[in-house]
Amino acid sequence: MAPVTLKSVTKSYGATSVLHGIDIDIADGEFVVLVGPSGCGKSTLLRMIAGLETITGGAIEIGGRVVNDLEPKDRDIAMVFQNYALYPHMTVATNMGFSLEHRGGSKAEIAERVQWAAGILGLTHLLDRYPRQLSGGQRQRVAMGRAIVRNPQVFLFDEPLSNLDAKLRVVMRGEIKGLHQRLGVTTVYVTHDQVEAMTMADRIVVMNGGKVEQVGAPLDLYDRPANLFVAGFIGSPAMNFIEGIVTNEGLVALGVTLPLTNSAPLGTKATYGIRPENLTLAADGLPAKITLIEPMGSETQVTMTLGDHTITGVFRERIAARPGETIHIRPDLNAIHLFDASTGLRIE
Amino acid sequence: MKTDLSPRMKTALYGLMCVLLIPFVFPTWWMITSSVKPISDIFAFPPDLWPRRFDLTTYARVFELQPFARQYWNSAYIAALVTAGTMVISSMAGYAFARIKFPFSNAIFMVVLLGLLIPSEVTIVPLFQIFLGWGMINTHWPLILVPIFGAPSVFATFVMRQFFIALPNELEEAARVDGLGRFKIFWTIALPLAKPALGAVAIFTFLHSWNLYLEPIVFLSSTQMFTLPQALTQFTDAYGGAMWNIQLAAATMTAIPVLLVFIVAQKQFVEGLAHTGLKG
Repeated sequence: MAPVTLKSVTKSYGATSVLHGIDIDIADGEFVVLVGPSGCGKSTLLRMIAGLETITGGAIEIGGRVVNDLEPKDRDIAMVFQNYALYPHMTVATNMGFSLEHRGGSKAEIAERVQWAAGILGLTHLLDRYPRQLSGGQRQRVAMGRAIVRNPQVFLFDEPLSNLDAKLRVVMRGEIKGLHQRLGVTTVYVTHDQVEAMTMADRIVVMNGGKVEQVGAPLDLYDRPANLFVAGFIGSPAMNFIEGIVTNEGLVALGVTLPLTNSAPLGTKATYGIRPENLTLAADGLPAKITLIEPMGSETQVTMTLGDHTITGVFRERIAARPGETIHIRPDLNAIHLFDASTGLRIE
Repeated sequence: MKTDLSPRMKTALYGLMCVLLIPFVFPTWWMITSSVKPISDIFAFPPDLWPRRFDLTTYARVFELQPFARQYWNSAYIAALVTAGTMVISSMAGYAFARIKFPFSNAIFMVVLLGLLIPSEVTIVPLFQIFLGWGMINTHWPLILVPIFGAPSVFATFVMRQFFIALPNELEEAARVDGLGRFKIFWTIALPLAKPALGAVAIFTFLHSWNLYLEPIVFLSSTQMFTLPQALTQFTDAYGGAMWNIQLAAATMTAIPVLLVFIVAQKQFVEGLAHTGLKG
């Protein structure tokens, strides 16, 4: 186990800069998820920590040691790849013990470590099989087994669940989290799935366009997003945004005036943010015309027009109304977010 | 794509395939049956598909008229060395062109590929001069070195490069994280996975060397040093007439390794060439 520190890390391919000075401190034993849309640089950053990509500028420290110029094998990290990267011509046992074998481990030690890892991951009965004889979930477990068998200082996961079906993904999510709780190894996990990030992370790093937008605990990011991007990225369905001007009556937007508890200066151009689940039905609420209604069983998702704006609401009740009809909604005043319309930054 | 054909359609298809097979099978059949006929029966009219009289002494005479066992050994060991050498060089060169970034790699690869465009007839005289200077005429060195560093190796490098290009990057990256250096990645990960391509290279190279004709007749002059294709031309009577049945007996024995190689490894040959985008 070791802390990982990124200091002003940059990455360029020729004249194209893809990471613009990343600063992250990851504590010893922490589970940090890098999340962001495709192309935001999260995988590149992970590969730089692994040593699979060179670092253009800044420094990466693992366990207090600068590893910028070290080969992956000398960084004491283990990585789980998106496509598992199991060696097709080797059995599960050989795949798992391969790294130890090349680091001069004795046969007895390798066998013991492989058995230990296989026991943890429920792979004992599969040790003689080849990767092609395994299901997706089993391959994923073998990939994790290969990582833990070496007892590295840091685990790196590069979108490891993206090739699994939705049901298996939920199972494996729990297994990875359970493994981390059991072993306590510092973990950096990359995903574009914000649900994975929310459910697994001790802290989330939200990235966009090669920059860190916000670092924080999952619920901190959910409750207090630092800017419009984070507010829109974290949460599903996404937060509703309505642009308007702060007045004494609230935020005046096209066709609607929204209640505010915020003390933003009057006349400020701002973006009003409210999560779909923070809207409730209320007879004295704002009138909204239903355009689409999606009953989910436990909740109902409604797309509707409020003034000139299309918004989404998620209600914990069943709604008998049909598209074209009007319902009345009320935003939870304690869950309103306000962002500066020009900078996109949160207004407290 | 799997299609369900009616029994009648299947019968018709198999019938058509049998007819199409005739031009390919007939010469081999003719060679084998004629090798056990007396020479007068070979040209009998109408021709016989099955020998009327069997004369197995033709096979013994092959060894009496020529040092055929020695020539067989010459072809075998030359083909084996050429195959092994080509596999080593082409797999390493193919891997380098596919996976290692170095300046002008694509341009250099194109230059290497240009070697395929030069017919061996064009280079044979300069090569003769070179090997003459090195004192290697009437030795087997030219027959070993020219294919290993010549056109067959270029083609083999192309086959191996195409295979290694398709190998997932993540496998190599996993190996780097596991602690392997470049050569170990090549040796323990890439090469074992390249078996289909190596199989294709081995078959192609072996057959090319086994069937080599122009180079032996240029570089070799003593019957003890001859290889099989060259030896086959030597079964003539005192007047220069071909001793057909004996020659065909020798040809039959010459063809056996080729047939065996194809029967054993044709699947790998096709799989290997499939990776190149070429048809097998």
